[in-house]
Amino acid sequence: MYVVIAGAGRLGIVLAKKLREDNHQVCLIDRNENLCNQLAGEMSDIMLICGDATYPDILKEAKIEKADVCVSAASNDEDNTIICYLAKELFGVKRTVARVNDPKHIPLYKYMEVDNPIDSTSIIARIVEEEASFTDVMSLFSIKKGRLSIVRVDIPEGSPVANKSVKDITLPHNSVLVSVLRGPDIIIPYGSTVILPGDEIIAATLIDVEKDLVKALIGKI
Amino acid sequence: MKYIVIIGCGKTGRELSLELSGDANVIVVDKNLKSLDALGDDFNGKKIWADALDINTLEKAGVKDADAVYVITGNDNLNLVVGKVTKRKYGTKKVILQVNDTMKKKIFKEEGLTIVNRTYLIVEVLRKCIA
Repeated sequence: MYVVIAGAGRLGIVLAKKLREDNHQVCLIDRNENLCNQLAGEMSDIMLICGDATYPDILKEAKIEKADVCVSAASNDEDNTIICYLAKELFGVKRTVARVNDPKHIPLYKYMEVDNPIDSTSIIARIVEEEASFTDVMSLFSIKKGRLSIVRVDIPEGSPVANKSVKDITLPHNSVLVSVLRGPDIIIPYGSTVILPGDEIIAATLIDVEKDLVKALIGKI
Repeated sequence: MKYIVIIGCGKTGRELSLELSGDANVIVVDKNLKSLDALGDDFNGKKIWADALDINTLEKAGVKDADAVYVITGNDNLNLVVGKVTKRKYGTKKVILQVNDTMKKKIFKEEGLTIVNRTYLIVEVLRKCIA
């Protein structure tokens, strides 16, 4: 794939390097000349363009019309929306992804038809919230923009499911137990499997019933 | 009385606000409190101290019911985004943007958006000086 990244901040640079490792073609655009010169020394296999990516001629120089994806990772939202808008409207780029700097600006991205506005602030806030408030529940990873998540739940003493077999447990609709970790053992649960206090449960759940699932497994939130 | 929203209270925004507030309902939006204070005591309108990129600010300013919305901050890209969203989401009758880059002016021409370019204006005036 050919990916054009606008904005060589920390995010832009890390992303460019990762994509290169996976053998994608990458072009990185930034308007800071000193930064570009410095990066040119470090990253020889990435095309670097020094200029303001909100200008169509700079995007043209990046051959953005050939890009499969345009990622806008600038630190202000007006520039990100304009870059994605130009990429799509003027150069026909199929997929545009942007970093949202202020969650309050998300509606703008929608009205300007950016395909994937990524709100890092909210994502990080959610992770911190999880880490801080429920140590016995951890979101392992999620796919489809966070709609499906795989969670790990530690079963405490007094859990409503402790000492019950799986067939007798009622879980919310749209969630399923994937495995039970007990000491060194990994158990794939069947109806007859009994859940014990101290077990770690791995479950898959749609995000809107995640809280209900946790409630069903540990009895509180 | 006409209802006019002015986003951006820099030099241009200030002059325009003072000029129009005599015989129209004027609401001025700026994220910088000092710029709003600079309107002085003569300004006969409403001030909103907020970020125009936040849809709630546009709602609060009532761009939907405005006869005209001027988006004239010093930031071309912000003016373009806010202007386009105002037109698309709220269908405001007249949306006037200041866009100083001549190339962007051409690209963002859209039904119902009036784009004013400082350079073109000055060139026009200068040309007339020798006519």
